[in-house]
Amino acid sequence: MQLPAPIRNLYERWLARRLPPARQIVLDQRRIFIFPTGYGFFYLLVAALLFIGGINYENNLILALSFLLASLFMVAILHTFRNLSALGIRNGGSESGFAGEEGALEIVLFAQRREHHCVWLRWRGQDDQQISIRRGEEESLWLNLPLAKRGRVMAPRLKVESRFPLGLLRTWSYVSLDHYCLAWPRPEESLDCPADGGKENQQAFSSGQSGNDEFQGLRSYIPGDSLRRVDWKGYARGRGLNTKQFEEPVGGRLWLRWDRLQGLGEEQRLSVLSYWILQLDPQRQPYGLKLPGLTLAPDTGDVHRWRLLDALASYPDF
Amino acid sequence: MARIYQVPSHTRLWLALAVLLCSIPQLVKGPLWQAGLLVLVILIRWLVEQQRLTLPGRMVRSLLLIGAVALTFYSFGRLYGPEAGVALLVSLFALKYLEVVQQRDAYVVIVLGYFVCGTALLFSQTPGMFLYVVLCMTVLTSCLVGINHSDTRASGFLHGKRALVITLQSIPLMMVLFLLVPRVAPLWNMQVGGDKARTGMSDSMSPGQISELSESAELAFRVDFQGDVPPRAQRYWRGLTLSHYDGRTWQQAVPKGQLESEYLYRRGTEKPDWYRKLESRRSYEQERYLYEVIAEPSQRRWLFSLAVPFPLDGDMALAKDMRLVANQPVSQRLAYRVESVPAINEVIGLTPQERQLMLSLPQNAGKKARGLAHQWRKESSSARDISQRALRYFRDQPFHYTLRPPRLTADPVDDFLFRTRRGFCEHYASSFTFLMRAAGVPARVVVGYQGGEQNDMGTHFLVRQYDAHAWSEIWLEGEGWTRVDPTGAVAPDRIELGLREALENSEDGRDLLADLGLRRFSDGGLFAKVSQWIDYVDFRWQTWVLGYDRAFQSDFLESLLGAVTPARIAIALIIAVAILMGFYAFFLLWQTGNEKLTLMEREYWRLHQRASERGRPLVAGLTPMQLCQAISEQWPQAAVAAENWAKYYQKLHYDPLSPPDKQQKRHLRSLRNRLYKLLD
Repeated sequence: MQLPAPIRNLYERWLARRLPPARQIVLDQRRIFIFPTGYGFFYLLVAALLFIGGINYENNLILALSFLLASLFMVAILHTFRNLSALGIRNGGSESGFAGEEGALEIVLFAQRREHHCVWLRWRGQDDQQISIRRGEEESLWLNLPLAKRGRVMAPRLKVESRFPLGLLRTWSYVSLDHYCLAWPRPEESLDCPADGGKENQQAFSSGQSGNDEFQGLRSYIPGDSLRRVDWKGYARGRGLNTKQFEEPVGGRLWLRWDRLQGLGEEQRLSVLSYWILQLDPQRQPYGLKLPGLTLAPDTGDVHRWRLLDALASYPDF
Repeated sequence: MARIYQVPSHTRLWLALAVLLCSIPQLVKGPLWQAGLLVLVILIRWLVEQQRLTLPGRMVRSLLLIGAVALTFYSFGRLYGPEAGVALLVSLFALKYLEVVQQRDAYVVIVLGYFVCGTALLFSQTPGMFLYVVLCMTVLTSCLVGINHSDTRASGFLHGKRALVITLQSIPLMMVLFLLVPRVAPLWNMQVGGDKARTGMSDSMSPGQISELSESAELAFRVDFQGDVPPRAQRYWRGLTLSHYDGRTWQQAVPKGQLESEYLYRRGTEKPDWYRKLESRRSYEQERYLYEVIAEPSQRRWLFSLAVPFPLDGDMALAKDMRLVANQPVSQRLAYRVESVPAINEVIGLTPQERQLMLSLPQNAGKKARGLAHQWRKESSSARDISQRALRYFRDQPFHYTLRPPRLTADPVDDFLFRTRRGFCEHYASSFTFLMRAAGVPARVVVGYQGGEQNDMGTHFLVRQYDAHAWSEIWLEGEGWTRVDPTGAVAPDRIELGLREALENSEDGRDLLADLGLRRFSDGGLFAKVSQWIDYVDFRWQTWVLGYDRAFQSDFLESLLGAVTPARIAIALIIAVAILMGFYAFFLLWQTGNEKLTLMEREYWRLHQRASERGRPLVAGLTPMQLCQAISEQWPQAAVAAENWAKYYQKLHYDPLSPPDKQQKRHLRSLRNRLYKLLD
């Protein structure tokens, strides 16, 4: 059911005020809504029929039964509410992606006080997911997030819903997590590499050939080092994971520079930079990035690439 | 083809059980084909769930539906009315279960089930039936839990447990609602043909009828006196007066030309003359009894009460012969309150038509008896004197009181009075009334019950079929209808002590009692005790639960709230519900429940606690090794044992590959116990 736009806006604003985003939320009575389901109303109708029957036949036991049904419903309110109450939700990881593609966000549900059965997570544009969390445990879910445009894409409001145990009542809460996915600028091909330094010829393909770097020595592996630089032979011989260190490449450091892309729009500049990061990455030559307000030193490897792309995505608020 | 919803495997059994349990009360009393239908449906459903059969198509289901409707019509002759309606509902319920193809259908079946099991209460209102229905409801609730539990490995047993918890929590709330929600008058009137009467008084009396009744220990009605209880010899529960005699059978009769409106007074109608006179005398009398009668179903309209009854509840009329008449035959247990004022019946008067009826006798019966009566009449000065002579006759001549009187031949009156002289109360009442009429004293036979035993708990009186009795009433000028019980002249014990003792004291009675297996209800023994308790529960159920009607409720609310106003009821209701719900909310929501420690945690904390008690208190956050050090510092002699414990503990607790087995746990415990001894 869609409400008219002004009312919907008012509702959205009210919700936003009532349920402000946070990194971690534990559902409590201020956040939880509860209302009978269609079956709940059907059930109440049956209870009402029994009540009328009990009155008309002057049958106290049928009356008592209708009262028992009503009581069951009231107690079910507490039980249904309890199933969602004290459920904790917090940010997990996030997987960035290029604008126009999909990223993913991890939501961690944790149960501190009791178990929560069959909790549905609903998120616009996605299949609902159901999950049960045992007491004292955590469960995480990855939810796909379409990345419409470059930048930080905030997690949409998540609907947490449950009908357990009787299905007569639906209890739900909206959770706005202060959680986002970075949408990298979509790569835009350009022939000119906006880079400084390195060889005179700034065609990327001619630089950073293997063998140009001078091997300097080994140091122990630090997570994030490019796997290409791991001394696999040494590892096979049982010397542990080490990373090969190289001298400054002959070609020197490459700097991708914002300034070199005069005359283009902001987004376009970022897209071009994104393209060149992807182009430079497979080559072993270190490359850095200079953006207004941020300089990232040249390096190589996956982590470096992601750091650069993330910087582009979050430009200008790093 | 649309994907067929599968009832979760952990819930299938629950659902089948629920359908079966909800239907059983109807299957037991309904036609046999209904049971066949249900078995068929459950079988098909089972095969479908085993995937050995596809679900019957619309065609088959429609045929089954038409068949069920047709068979219902065939069995009951109609499709409406409580019996046929419930039978149809149960069949439809089974067929709905057959076509559970979506989760929605499962919901419909379950919620319908709540209704179906409720209909069982239309026909039986025993505590057992109510418990059964609550059990059905719990099973239905288990199904609801099950279909909402989509974890495929959920346990069906836990559904039942959860449903039971919810049901038990609902029961106090139900009681509050039951007590406080105002009873509304019926919106439209409905009647259910309930239990059939098995034995009971008929509307005529011929020799042998009441003695037959005396062989049954079935309950006729219960009485709960408020305040004074009349002595046993005065407890004559009048049911019917019989004034027409054809030589063998006494029957009810109304004087010629008398209208019902003159004869019966119903509340709200115009008061007949005799009733107005009764009413004017009612308030002057000191002797009065207030009581509630809970009558078992008899399928008759007459009700039992002491003379002269004034009904306090509606739905019944007072007849001119001082008895109560229900508006409908008593098809279910009926509770009614009565105030009886014994000493006022002379104001009713006797019209000439009535006198004529009360003197009428069949032409050619009892020639010798008439002669005897005429003789008494000549020798007596008053009607009272005549009745005294008759009683003396019964007392002095060799009359016997027996349950097994010999057969009477052609003229029952003369045959009994002058030949057999062995009879039961109806023989005495009949012949006495005959003699009185023959002597010119207006007389009639009254049938009803006499006496009644008090329950061991001392709460109420039980009147059973063997208390059935017949006696006479004669009209004495200035005194009105006066009760004369000729049986009392022959067997005074019958009146003073009851049938049981009367028979025990007579020569042939004891054998007879053994024959009939009629032991005294209140005789000792476990069985008798239990049956007394069962009766007590049944009585309380009857008065407090089934009898909790509008009048009872307003009395109760008045004592609770002071005054019965809608506002006060609403406030009481809200407060009571809020207190209960608040209590539940506290336990369900705010209480975390005690943290369950694992066995290893318990091991640790026990040692920690012991060390803290014996020596310096220790901080909480110690690792096992730190705990060991703390112990070694305080008790150097325990250093080795403590280290052994700590190392073993760590080995067990932090080994991610294998959880500690029983032997290892036992070893750890023995290490700890060894350590205990060193901590002094």
